[in-house]
Amino acid sequence: MEAEKVITTKHARNSTLLSIVPGMGQIYNRQFLKGIIFLVLAASFGIVFGDILNMGFWGLFTLGEIPKVDHSIFLLIDGIIALIVTVLGLGVYAFNLYDAHSNGKKRDLGLHLNSVREQYHNLIDGGFPYLMISPGFLLLIFVVIFPIIFVILLAFTNYDLYHSPPAKLVDWIGIQNFIDIFKIDIWRNTFFKVLGWTIVWTFGATTFQIALGMFLAIVVNQKDLKGKAIIRTILILPWAVPAFVSIMIFSGMFNETFGAVNKMILPALGLEAQPWMTEANWTRLALILIQGWLGFPFIFAMVTGVLQSIPEDLYEAATVDGASIWQKFTKITLPLVLFATAPIMITQYTFNFNNFNVIFLFNNGGPAVPGQTAWGTDILISWIYRLTMTSAQYGKAAAITMILSVIIIAVALWQFRKTKSFQEEDMM
Amino acid sequence: MKKALSLFMMIMLVFGVLAACGPNREEGTSTEKETENNAGEEPAKPEKLVVWEDTDKEVALEPAIEAFEKEYGIKVEYKTLGMADKIRDQLRLDGPAGNAPDVVTLPHDQIGQVVVEGLISEIEVNQDVLDTFTESSVSAQMYDGKLYGLPKATETPVFIYNKALMEKAPATFDELYTFSKDFTKGDNYGFLALWDNYYFAHGIMGGNGAYVFKDENGALNREDIGLNNEGAVTGAEYIQQWYKEGLFPKGIIGESGGSAMDGLFNEGKVASVMNGPWAFQAMKDAGIDYGVAPLPTLPNGENVKTFMGVKGWHVTAFTENQYWATKLVEFLTNEESAKTRFETTGEIPPVKTLIEDPIIAENEAAKAVAVQSSYAIPMPNIPEMAEVWSPMASALQQIATQKSEPKAALDSAVDTIKKQIETNHAK
Repeated sequence: MEAEKVITTKHARNSTLLSIVPGMGQIYNRQFLKGIIFLVLAASFGIVFGDILNMGFWGLFTLGEIPKVDHSIFLLIDGIIALIVTVLGLGVYAFNLYDAHSNGKKRDLGLHLNSVREQYHNLIDGGFPYLMISPGFLLLIFVVIFPIIFVILLAFTNYDLYHSPPAKLVDWIGIQNFIDIFKIDIWRNTFFKVLGWTIVWTFGATTFQIALGMFLAIVVNQKDLKGKAIIRTILILPWAVPAFVSIMIFSGMFNETFGAVNKMILPALGLEAQPWMTEANWTRLALILIQGWLGFPFIFAMVTGVLQSIPEDLYEAATVDGASIWQKFTKITLPLVLFATAPIMITQYTFNFNNFNVIFLFNNGGPAVPGQTAWGTDILISWIYRLTMTSAQYGKAAAITMILSVIIIAVALWQFRKTKSFQEEDMM
Repeated sequence: MKKALSLFMMIMLVFGVLAACGPNREEGTSTEKETENNAGEEPAKPEKLVVWEDTDKEVALEPAIEAFEKEYGIKVEYKTLGMADKIRDQLRLDGPAGNAPDVVTLPHDQIGQVVVEGLISEIEVNQDVLDTFTESSVSAQMYDGKLYGLPKATETPVFIYNKALMEKAPATFDELYTFSKDFTKGDNYGFLALWDNYYFAHGIMGGNGAYVFKDENGALNREDIGLNNEGAVTGAEYIQQWYKEGLFPKGIIGESGGSAMDGLFNEGKVASVMNGPWAFQAMKDAGIDYGVAPLPTLPNGENVKTFMGVKGWHVTAFTENQYWATKLVEFLTNEESAKTRFETTGEIPPVKTLIEDPIIAENEAAKAVAVQSSYAIPMPNIPEMAEVWSPMASALQQIATQKSEPKAALDSAVDTIKKQIETNHAK
């Protein structure tokens, strides 16, 4: 029983403790080159980033002390960089400890330690994937993670017009912004009204576009339909026109006096002209219809692809068993289509939750509604835009952005976990 | 144990960093410039000054800075940036970073905001310099009773008519009303205006006695809002009348109303509109033979008190050459530079002598804008103004679509404005 050999040495503990000064543990383990590399890395980290860390953390905690000299927002940005550098540094530091410990343990067990050459090969073989992803990963940190941290931190400051650098300093105010959003009447009323419409909009518009796209795909996919290619091309066309162009044209078409909808389409159907642009509920309806138009071709194309991959024998077998068309649809087509496309369907919902373009370009969030800071068709994201652009309420806008992100992330996570697509099982 | 150890280390590290924290500030190095207070003496000339001008307006700037270089021997460099928001946004970043220009141009309604943010600085000029400008244009450059720039050009909505459909501009709104009653049929309209937008509606309401913020000796009082006073209600009722009787179609209400109105006018279906000088070019391009006049007088005999926009030259808060930058601002707005500006860009400088000069007095469009400007009042330039537009647009839309009575709609708007000022502009 070799494994039960009594361990008498304490190399693991010693080298880990020594590695508190990076590299010492490795040197203790007689891996001199590695040790020196760690030591040099640590020293240069301190020399190069010392100032950044010092100023960064000072700035992050105080956000500046003297107006006109200290620029709070720049300090905040420096602080976040310092934070990221620290995390990266701690990562390397933790690896240094881990390495010393594991090699020490190997020595305790009397195992052979890798020579310099072997270490080099280990690094090249095992480290290669990491090496390859690191440029992208670093970019990701600064392009994605950095702004996220910035917004999160901003939500806890009083950054607004009257606390704008360089004239004034920005201060940390804890969760005051969140309290204000729910406590001050005008904010709370607006928030819940906008949230309500945002949810209706998300579900209404997205479900409509999915249902329409799926329905058309199934109809066009019928075996005996002639001219499939041309029909599909035409149905894909709305996708080919840049969305903002379509939206602007729709905005003209829905004009109450001069637009084609009120002037030609509705009278032709024997209906009365409607106040599309000045009555909130009509504008909402128009928006959902427009989003259906803009969104269905994508669903249509995707579902068509899935439908063609469903083996014909499933339907033949069902026919033999005497299944009705409806049963075939609900028991074969729908589950298979949803299995393949559910993740993308979910992203459609999250996309519409934040679909700024259509709301803003169609009627700029209008019509105006008395007594609140948002307009009739403003969704959360366009309301945030309005807040930052007109009222310069950067801190509050950041706080609402955070609430909004939390909602999206929660819903998306919950749905992703529920769909079968992310469970590694076979459907067929 | 490893975990506890690294945690401990982390805490140690953070504390270590924090303990040594902060910038090394030597006593008394606050960047307060040792200002050039030595009275009478000119401070040393800088090598160069940097100016940010609006895009496409450099033709007016070049001759002026050339003359300035010749007279004072200071080199002036310029860069063009969109004035509407680019200059302000860029100044926010470049100022603290140390690349700020010395002089910038801004629309006057941003003055309050940029002063609060500390981006531009107060200037001191002699009274005789100020006297060369119209009074209202100078007051547009004041914030909180202090002068923050000199006016470069003004613009304000005027009465524009299609000469093929209307012989001459009416003198009163009553005349226009009768004409419009007669002319408006099908897709043809006698007169159109975007009175659901407070920028245009202010002319009517202001002419009846409404005001946004009470002017108290050059400082606007944000507590005193006159948007639901008697005059405002009379004005709003008059506005509602035009919509109610079908003289204004519902299709020009709301965000896309402007493009609908411009489209109709440029198709030759509208006899006259209320619009700003910025609309001239498109009308020219559409081949409309248009005439321009000051707006007709209101039923109560008053002139229409349109909102005036004033573009100005300002000294940034980051310049190290306050004195020479101010000199440059004075130079850029003097009569000669102003004249060049009008000749090259068509912008109308509020220089008194120039308004009487034949080059403006004999130019129909320029004269109309200049005359209307003399009735106009500058848009309020305090940051609180940002809270006015949206509630007023709500109210005016309700009034235009006859969903509510003018008095009730305006009361509710003023209530919202007050609440928003209270929450968003707590100092």
